[in-house]
Amino acid sequence: MQKEITLKRFAGIVDAYGASPQRWPDDERAAAEALVAVSAEARALLADAAALDGVLARAPVDAPSSALAERLLAARPRGVAANPSPKPQAWFIRSLIETVWPYGSPVIPAGALAASIVLGATLGSVSDISVLTTETTITASVEDGAEDSLVALALAEPAWPEEWMQ
Amino acid sequence: MDETSDDELVAAVAKGDERSCRVLMDRHLARIVALGRRMLGNQADAEEVAQEVFLRVWTHAERWQPGRAQFGTWLHRVAANLCLDRLRRIRGTVDIDEMPNLESDEPGPDRQLEERELSARVEAALQLLPERQRAAVVLSHYQGLSNIETAEVLEVTVEAVESLLSRARRQLRVSLATEKDELLRSREMSA
Repeated sequence: MQKEITLKRFAGIVDAYGASPQRWPDDERAAAEALVAVSAEARALLADAAALDGVLARAPVDAPSSALAERLLAARPRGVAANPSPKPQAWFIRSLIETVWPYGSPVIPAGALAASIVLGATLGSVSDISVLTTETTITASVEDGAEDSLVALALAEPAWPEEWMQ
Repeated sequence: MDETSDDELVAAVAKGDERSCRVLMDRHLARIVALGRRMLGNQADAEEVAQEVFLRVWTHAERWQPGRAQFGTWLHRVAANLCLDRLRRIRGTVDIDEMPNLESDEPGPDRQLEERELSARVEAALQLLPERQRAAVVLSHYQGLSNIETAEVLEVTVEAVESLLSRARRQLRVSLATEKDELLRSREMSA
């Protein structure tokens, strides 16, 4: 026997889920549709909810960029048989470098880094200059969401597997 | 259309099968990006979240246990949590004065511009919702999850989902009152 619902409950359903029966709770859908068929008040509530649904449908959405799909395919797992060598493959190293330094050739920043290390070591050996690592610097880099994402991408962070392994 | 199940595809992904990666992305990537877009309000952040979600799939594919959870629901759960984490990190940094003026009803020079302005106002109204309410609307209304699936993703009861949705739609009704009335008028005129 079909469950019956009151107009008040119907108002609650459209207030929460909108006008489309597909979004209504499974166990109340048939009764709600039956009420719509016989009640002008229910139809008025439905029309009002449909107007809001119509506006909400205008929320913008764009297709994923092809660059995103390419990045994900480049980072996909590689089968054991296809990669018998434990050494990192060239594609992975390239992908890692591009992720950390997506601005072109990494030779210049790498050279600058090497030069700064040599200069620092030289200065350190001939003077009392010490390198200060402040908490501010560390905090700033940790709170930077963009860098978090880059690190996560580069390392394919294994943390937070959710219920995956339960 | 490929009828291979998500569970079978994930197992093949773990073995490095490129085609299965592509099929999984074809099936789910656009939806996860759409979820991120509506939660975060911009495409770049949405794509970053989607990237992180799929990198987790690649990383943990080997340990996926078929039948324990619906793969699509699991994806939504990870994506929703990542979005909520981001929103918590930036909470308090959004200047409400910088949000588009929801009351503006100035007519645009052409229909296309009007459509873009309407889209921007709807997106801004979504961004003004409290995070949990926004997540409920995005998952239930836009992503088409059932109330039970939405409750599972948000780790709340079905009754709590309904309450979140009701409050969200009430606020949206106020924020978008002008737009809703205009839509009703245009429907009456075209009827």
